[in-house]
Amino acid sequence: MRAGGGANSARVARSKGMPFSKSPMLAVSLPPWRSRVVLFVLFAAFAALAVRALWLQGVSTQFLQKQGEARYAFTLELPATRGKITDRNGQVLASSVPVKAIWAIPDDVLAAPPEKIRALAALLEMNEADLRKKLDSDRDLVYLKRQVEMDVAAKIAELKIEGIEARKEYKRFYPQGEVMTHVVGFTNVEDVGQESMELAQQKTLQGATGSRRVIKDRLGHIVEDVGSIHEPHDGKDLTLSVDSKIQYIAYTQLKGAVEKFKAKAGGAVVLDVHTGEVLALANYPSYDPNDRRSLTGAQLRNRVMTDTFEPGSTLKPITVALALDSGRVNPNSYIDTGAGKYTILDRTISDTKGHGVINVQQIIEMSSNIGTSKIALSMPSQEMWEMFTKVGFGQQPKWGFPGAVAGRVRPYKSWRPIEQATMSYGNGISVSLIQLARSYMMFARNGDTIPLSFQKVTEPPVGQQIIKPKTAEQMRAMLETVVSGKDGTAKQAQIPGYRAGGKTGTAYKVENGRYAMPRKYIGSFVGMVPMSNPRFIIAVMIDEPTQGGHYGGQVAAPTFAAVAANALRSLNVPPDSSVTEIVIPADGGADVM
Amino acid sequence: MSFKINLVLAAFLVGCALSLVNAQYQARHLFIDLERAQAKARQLDIDWAQLQLDQSKLGKHARIEEIARRDLNMTQLTPNRTQYLTQGDK
Repeated sequence: MRAGGGANSARVARSKGMPFSKSPMLAVSLPPWRSRVVLFVLFAAFAALAVRALWLQGVSTQFLQKQGEARYAFTLELPATRGKITDRNGQVLASSVPVKAIWAIPDDVLAAPPEKIRALAALLEMNEADLRKKLDSDRDLVYLKRQVEMDVAAKIAELKIEGIEARKEYKRFYPQGEVMTHVVGFTNVEDVGQESMELAQQKTLQGATGSRRVIKDRLGHIVEDVGSIHEPHDGKDLTLSVDSKIQYIAYTQLKGAVEKFKAKAGGAVVLDVHTGEVLALANYPSYDPNDRRSLTGAQLRNRVMTDTFEPGSTLKPITVALALDSGRVNPNSYIDTGAGKYTILDRTISDTKGHGVINVQQIIEMSSNIGTSKIALSMPSQEMWEMFTKVGFGQQPKWGFPGAVAGRVRPYKSWRPIEQATMSYGNGISVSLIQLARSYMMFARNGDTIPLSFQKVTEPPVGQQIIKPKTAEQMRAMLETVVSGKDGTAKQAQIPGYRAGGKTGTAYKVENGRYAMPRKYIGSFVGMVPMSNPRFIIAVMIDEPTQGGHYGGQVAAPTFAAVAANALRSLNVPPDSSVTEIVIPADGGADVM
Repeated sequence: MSFKINLVLAAFLVGCALSLVNAQYQARHLFIDLERAQAKARQLDIDWAQLQLDQSKLGKHARIEEIARRDLNMTQLTPNRTQYLTQGDK
């Protein structure tokens, strides 16, 4: 009924002649400004959008693109491996293997269940209490352990402890351990060389890290490369001159000698006469570079390279060679050494016994201090100084080995006659064992000397002539009598099957600028084998022998013989003497200073 | 006429677009293979270094000498037990 009534009233309105929609009552009478406001607001909104679009597209586009890229593109560092170090035959002496450094975000880790932390401590080979102490830190992240091997790191990752992260790094292994360490050296935890060749060749060994930019998908897989890749450059491999077999022989023999004579230390070096390569360089005491927790200074010390000592009689051949070379004497010139005492002004030089009138060859064979002094005093001090300088004494070695010392030769202008005399037999002058070994190069070669090398030599080096070839030949004959002559001081240096030559030396140790009291000795021997065509120069030094003798002929010569015999055998050098001729005395020859 | 050309071009365009998608797909696959191969190469490099290291460790002269003396009862060679042969006259 009601609805019908509504329709009726509409009809009523129409019947009045005016349509419903035109009713003035219903007319919208908005003020005109309102529509304009709306129009303006709409326009302003569109304008703002346009400006914003222009702004994004035009002005800040670069920034935005960068931000966008940062969310899917990543820069990966491409690590470079440190070069390997090998010996001359390619045996690996040092090699880097990837390991992990384990670090933690303390707060997150401490929230982990206790049994997981216990398991972590066990894997890290730590005490649980120690681990907790490490984690109890204000810092945002702490290293728990570095240089963790890969399999252990994988097990740690399996624990899935929140806040434990691993970073890739390298650990360097030295398979030859204490035998080779004084040549190879070692690196620190950051893979930076700290000692010896690792330090000297740091630049070529280290390599350069590279990088690449990639796009990753949401699962972290690399989808594609962006831009160019900076290739990493691995460090160059380094081939040393050292022969690991000879090095092993030198080290074990030296170790045996130091223990046998209850000495403080010892050093030995083997040089290749033809190329100047250092075939072995051994020191004892030594250390294991793979485990340096209990490393002491004495173990670290590279005595062959960095310690100088008064060489004693091993220097005599150099003085005598100078006199021979300048024509002042010849091997058969006779010199009166008297009854074993010779006084210059207020100081007396003595021999172990009176040798009487002997020739130059016998002076070397019996190691007469007086004979050598008399020869030295017949020469101007400047010539002697020049000779010492030429063979490298007092000169900073340039062989690319860190810490090599120059030794000390005082300027000749300040030499007094007594000093010139004592220097002729190796007192009042200091050299390192390797310098001493190198000075014998001119005898082993034909009067020339070549630079030493710690890296494998491919081209024969150019020598520098120091003495005439004939002098070198005469000296070789004299040095052989030291070993095989009836009065020789180094009979224990004899090697079955080979002719050897060399010179013994026994010196007092200098401590704080004066000779140590009670006397401390350094016994040394420098020699070459085989005499028919020298191949090796071997120098041995035994520091403070306290038992079984202290002369070079007693303590160092047998080590020389053992090293030489094994080295010759291992390199297949044919014997140059018949085996039956050799008679090694049971007690060994006595030595003179 | 022009309608036909448009039709051909449109079909061509769709073809191109599809081949682009396909090419991209192939490229990703190849890239993943390349990544895998490179990772394998790196791993082999590491293994090689490790094996060289092991060889050097096992070939340590001290170890060889000990085994030779203890297990194999070997002694050192000396020249008086050696027969040296010289080359005969030609």
